[in-house]
Amino acid sequence: MANKPSDTLQGRPGKFTLFYRRNLGFLFILLWLVGFLVFRLYPFLSSLVYSFSNFHLFNGIQQWGLMNYQEIFSDKKIMNSLGITFKYSFITVPLKLAFALFIAYILNYKIKGVNFFRTAYYIPSILGGSVAIAVLWKALFRDQGLVNAIIRIFGGEGANWLADPKYALFIISLLRVWQFGSAMVLFLAALKGVPADLYEAATIDGASKIRQFWSITVPMITPIIFYNLVTQLCQAFQEFNGPFIITQGGPRNATTLFSLLIYNRAFKSYEMGMASAMAWVLFVIVMVLSLIAFMSQKYWVYYGDEKG
Amino acid sequence: MKTTTKVLSAIMALSVCASMTACGGTSSSSGSTTTAAPADTQAAADTTTAAADTAAADTEAAAETEAAAETPAGNAEISISWWGGDARHEATQKAIDAFTAKNPNVKVNVSFGAWSGWEEAMSTSFYAGTAPDVNQINWNWIENYGANGATFLDLNTVADHFDLSQYSDAALQSCTMFGELQAIPVSMTGRIFYWNKTTFEKAGIDTPKSLADLKAAGQTFKEKLGDEYYPLAAGEYDRMILMVYYLESVYGKPWVENGALNYTPEEIQKGMEFLNDLEDSHVIPTCATILGDGADSLDKNPKWMNGTYAGIFEWDSSASKFNSALEEGQELIVGDYFSDFGDSKGGFSKVSLAFAISENTPNAAVCADLLNFLLNDDEGASIMSSERGIPLSANALKVCTDNNLLDPMVSEANKKVLSWVSFPLDAKFEDAKLKNNPDGVYYDAIGGLSYDEYTPGDAALVLYDGINAVLNS
Repeated sequence: MANKPSDTLQGRPGKFTLFYRRNLGFLFILLWLVGFLVFRLYPFLSSLVYSFSNFHLFNGIQQWGLMNYQEIFSDKKIMNSLGITFKYSFITVPLKLAFALFIAYILNYKIKGVNFFRTAYYIPSILGGSVAIAVLWKALFRDQGLVNAIIRIFGGEGANWLADPKYALFIISLLRVWQFGSAMVLFLAALKGVPADLYEAATIDGASKIRQFWSITVPMITPIIFYNLVTQLCQAFQEFNGPFIITQGGPRNATTLFSLLIYNRAFKSYEMGMASAMAWVLFVIVMVLSLIAFMSQKYWVYYGDEKG
Repeated sequence: MKTTTKVLSAIMALSVCASMTACGGTSSSSGSTTTAAPADTQAAADTTTAAADTAAADTEAAAETEAAAETPAGNAEISISWWGGDARHEATQKAIDAFTAKNPNVKVNVSFGAWSGWEEAMSTSFYAGTAPDVNQINWNWIENYGANGATFLDLNTVADHFDLSQYSDAALQSCTMFGELQAIPVSMTGRIFYWNKTTFEKAGIDTPKSLADLKAAGQTFKEKLGDEYYPLAAGEYDRMILMVYYLESVYGKPWVENGALNYTPEEIQKGMEFLNDLEDSHVIPTCATILGDGADSLDKNPKWMNGTYAGIFEWDSSASKFNSALEEGQELIVGDYFSDFGDSKGGFSKVSLAFAISENTPNAAVCADLLNFLLNDDEGASIMSSERGIPLSANALKVCTDNNLLDPMVSEANKKVLSWVSFPLDAKFEDAKLKNNPDGVYYDAIGGLSYDEYTPGDAALVLYDGINAVLNS
């Protein structure tokens, strides 16, 4: 009772008041914290435990061990899916970053109606994840779709975009590349931050625009390139919506990305143990790639506050 | 600071535990939505001690079920789920309204939707024990999600509330597993040919009555209507069922018998060659062509709607769906089975749909009353009509027939199917590892054949090994 705030004399706060003040912040985040623990941390850790079992939703667990991991690295279908995921990511991420930087570079100039263009280019990023856009994508690229119709107007034959294993993955990648808006906005902000006097000095020295781009612009925005690279890489490896809605993983498993295979194993075959193991393999891959990116940044990322 | 953080962490951990416990409590009592039922149940348990003498009352759970079965149909709140199209939703909702009008003390909560994603949602709710009290299920769900009888109620325990005598022994047997009647079959279905008569007339030929006619139609379509026109369209799974029909006709034996695949790789190869021949004869388009159409299913394919694809091999219960998808001026007719496939009458029928009651429902008797109304009662059956196929319930069939309520095309197709097919279907035929698109065995073997990745021999081996792996798992 002596520690109650009302009991404190001479303005010196009591233990309870101190405790209350120091931990008030925890109270504000308590709701989020509970959500994090229950819906993130618990599934995260329990999936690790399940990954060492043959947990089937309706048959329970009969066996513990490394069998899921052994199967992942020996099953042709799973390894094929992993290969497709790498291919997808290595097509999508560079294309998306290059495109976003290109458009940001153009929009960085003082042109008439620039705000309209910035908004217009950002819209796909808002719409991109929606089911409706994926359905629209499917309609565009089907045999009788708009893309083939345009090609046929110009005398071409068109292609069976969604049914030919050669093209299907590219079509799925294109959907993600089209959603370059968020990366573009970050690039735009970075470009605005490049000091104008660097360009002025380069111009006086006779450097061409291309030379200025590679020798001033790119080095100055490498922190944002690095940030975009890591976030886009993480997103690409977890891509699900596009192949799920547009091709369901077909044709001939050409677009069965790893996340789609995890979903199929978990919710169609109910092999939760195997699905958990696959999710952990995916997590480790993304983590290793991120680590490589972080370790490599000292060789190519320029932070303004660095010495030398 | 360290101590306070520890204290706070402990409090948070406790709160998490409390919230988890709360979740668990909610989960286990989620089916207990009846307000007055517990008292009624207790009263029923007191007054019907004789029920405890029955064989079903071996365990405590069974005893609870027994008590619930005796609960009077009053002051209860139950839930029901189903999937389907708009017509089915409207009919079922109307029938449930009629039931609640007759039973004002019963409240029925409904949940329904389209098929897409429905099975995934239901399977997880069966696992979690949060499924509605009454559920429309697929026949193979009994094996897949039945959990040795722990998911669905043995309907023999509510026989006082549901008139089982309306069903043949064979029908009831088809849904009996783990020694219990797990569900009530609503209708039987099988695959049969449907032809777009208008397109065949455009090509100047009759609809096919034999394999020879069909192959001739392929050439006629190509020559007279163009490369895009085909007399039959079939995806990978449709081809699988067509091939089984063909092989059973040729060899006169069921596809799977006593849990083992009844065909050798050489025999299956003959089936694969049959499918290849259909593609080569311009009878069916390649799988790539159908996939390139960009439609989710054949009934949503513009080429089906406008008659470019002039035939399907589909479930008899799907007739109205495919018929209503056709553009105006197209006429769909039910085809005949081909007798020149082989000496036997190949093909199979299966339970189209069934209704099951959740094992953990506290209102089993009320659920059974609702099902009895929907499936057997004059009024309920007349509202439901043939929205789930031709009823297996004798009284429902009589009511629908007497009042001319059955879809004529569905009725014709169903009669033809049931009078032709002679082979049983193994529940594992529809196993996810076989049927999944695109990584299931059927899709791998038959898609690979169509994409020329496999020879008929290779495809047969892929199918043979894949099916055996599933059957032996």
